[in-house]
Amino acid sequence: MPAKKGGGEANRKAVSSGQLTETSCRDFLIASQNPDGGWGYYRASPSSVEATSWALMALTSQSSAPPPAETRPRARAWLLQAQLPDGSWAAFPGQRQGCWTTSMASLALHLQGGSTDATVQGMNWLLDAWPAEGSLWWRLRHSLGRSAGVRQNSSLRGWSWTPGTASWVEPTSHALLLLCSLPPEFLPPRATKRRRLAERMLYDRMCPGGGWNSGNPLVYGVAGVPRIGPTAWALLALIDQAERAENQQSLEWLASAYGGIRGATSLALAYRCLRAYGRQVAPLAPALGELYQRNRFFESVLAVAWILLAWSEERSRAGQAAGECLTS
Amino acid sequence: MSLASARLVPSFARPPSRVAIVRAQSYSLDLGALLFQALREFDLPLRGKKVLLKPNFVEPDPGGVVNTHPAVVGAARESFLRLGAGSVRVAEGPGHERDTEAIVETIHLRDYLGSLPGLFVDLNLDEVRPVPLQTRVSKLREVYLPKTVLEADFVVSLPKLKTHHWVGATLSLKNMFGIVPGCCYGWPKNILHWAGVTGSILDINSTVRPDFTIVDGIVGMEGNGPIQGNAKPCGVLILGDDPVAVDATCARVMGLAPERIDYLAKAGTLLGHLKPGKIRQLGESITSVRTPFAVLPSFQKLVAS
Repeated sequence: MPAKKGGGEANRKAVSSGQLTETSCRDFLIASQNPDGGWGYYRASPSSVEATSWALMALTSQSSAPPPAETRPRARAWLLQAQLPDGSWAAFPGQRQGCWTTSMASLALHLQGGSTDATVQGMNWLLDAWPAEGSLWWRLRHSLGRSAGVRQNSSLRGWSWTPGTASWVEPTSHALLLLCSLPPEFLPPRATKRRRLAERMLYDRMCPGGGWNSGNPLVYGVAGVPRIGPTAWALLALIDQAERAENQQSLEWLASAYGGIRGATSLALAYRCLRAYGRQVAPLAPALGELYQRNRFFESVLAVAWILLAWSEERSRAGQAAGECLTS
Repeated sequence: MSLASARLVPSFARPPSRVAIVRAQSYSLDLGALLFQALREFDLPLRGKKVLLKPNFVEPDPGGVVNTHPAVVGAARESFLRLGAGSVRVAEGPGHERDTEAIVETIHLRDYLGSLPGLFVDLNLDEVRPVPLQTRVSKLREVYLPKTVLEADFVVSLPKLKTHHWVGATLSLKNMFGIVPGCCYGWPKNILHWAGVTGSILDINSTVRPDFTIVDGIVGMEGNGPIQGNAKPCGVLILGDDPVAVDATCARVMGLAPERIDYLAKAGTLLGHLKPGKIRQLGESITSVRTPFAVLPSFQKLVAS
């Protein structure tokens, strides 16, 4: 991957040529907020917890050009009213069972400040939510060889997408990102144990050769093919162990795959991850501009939110680099 | 679309089904003309209807082995429009890959359908509604389903001819897992596995039974399908008005015994016909196109003797 200098500015200029700028992304999110304060996956679709959480985090990252004053409080209020009595969040209001969206809703609220109770309740629900693969019935079934073709250490458990199902890479990564973001005084002792177990689970599920797919590294003796999304999420969740060989191997895979990415959400996520690890990568903008002209990202709120977060990562790296220059 | 429309009919009371086998050796043929010709035989009630095509898009695979080939999707859309459909949209909710845009861009779906926004729907992120399941074979009682599926008048399952390392073969019935939205159940939709794969296939199809099926068997997949198997040229399109009968025919073409595929055997009681005597065969005969597919050792029992 060729090294590029000044990627942030290049990004903005090139995306402008595709009629997509950081400002237009921010404006798109602001205009897509539903009257109830939340966001759907697309403009004018019903508010969902995931879309609202990411849109709110993306707008929160825009410190130099914040949205109108009422935007974030309305979103925060929507998330708070969507929280279930047990502290979790479902995918949509009206659903009765909490799920993986609890991680991102808790994180989005935490980043706003002033929602400590809701955040802690969400975190506690997650700490109590165990995936099902450790159950007696499941272990018995596995011991009888039902899933002999799948290589994994099932004593290592992370988090599932929905209650009563197995651990998978993405929900585990999302929960770890929340736990890593919370201040130590929020975290009960069991959080550390849970976090370590989930980290081990992620390393156990890494594909041979690096990278992650949804969570099956080897099936019937054939190595699983890594995918962009799970790899980027796992790497972001494991960034505290950046120097580990597994992280570096997976980063190499992600960097090598970056040029071939054909979707805006994957592109933004991969860019954010590679920059978070300090990797120099080709600017995000040209590929984004091309995709935008082709399909307008299907007007996906999630895609635009993740693009803004990727640019925010770029700014954060640029700020760090400037600080390092000043102090050297 | 057949939601709650008494499509659960015992085999003995169900009229014979129709399945056509059309030879097509390559994706570069005029598939639109081939499909249009074959579909006309079925005299389908399509005038002004909202048709929804549900292909099997799994991962960004430029090799054309994993996913329903976009040429087949494009040909089906063109054919249904020529047959009088009011609109024909394409929708899919991939099971493992969240970035559906990456899949459709990688396989160049746009080259076959034109501009995708408004035409292609990501079922994983669509608006959803709770729907009680029409049978209770799995542990599921209701599922959230996408509005785009529920509001369609005529649902067409467009799978690829593949073996499957969990259920033996993945065809039109298994393809309907893709209507279950990831935004509610994740990637993969693991709840369907924990509720029982066979039962979930039956419950989903009893609730949203495809009105028609077109299987892309031009190049299928054998061995460790549905993702990591090997390309298997088979040179056929298999289509029909009964998803069970089409899947049974596909299995026979693949050299498998459909009555030994658990979910197909069970589907044959209420969802459609499994027995050859109840399937009116159009076009090519099964024998003339039979192409034995390699299966994993654990599925050798499915191979027809």
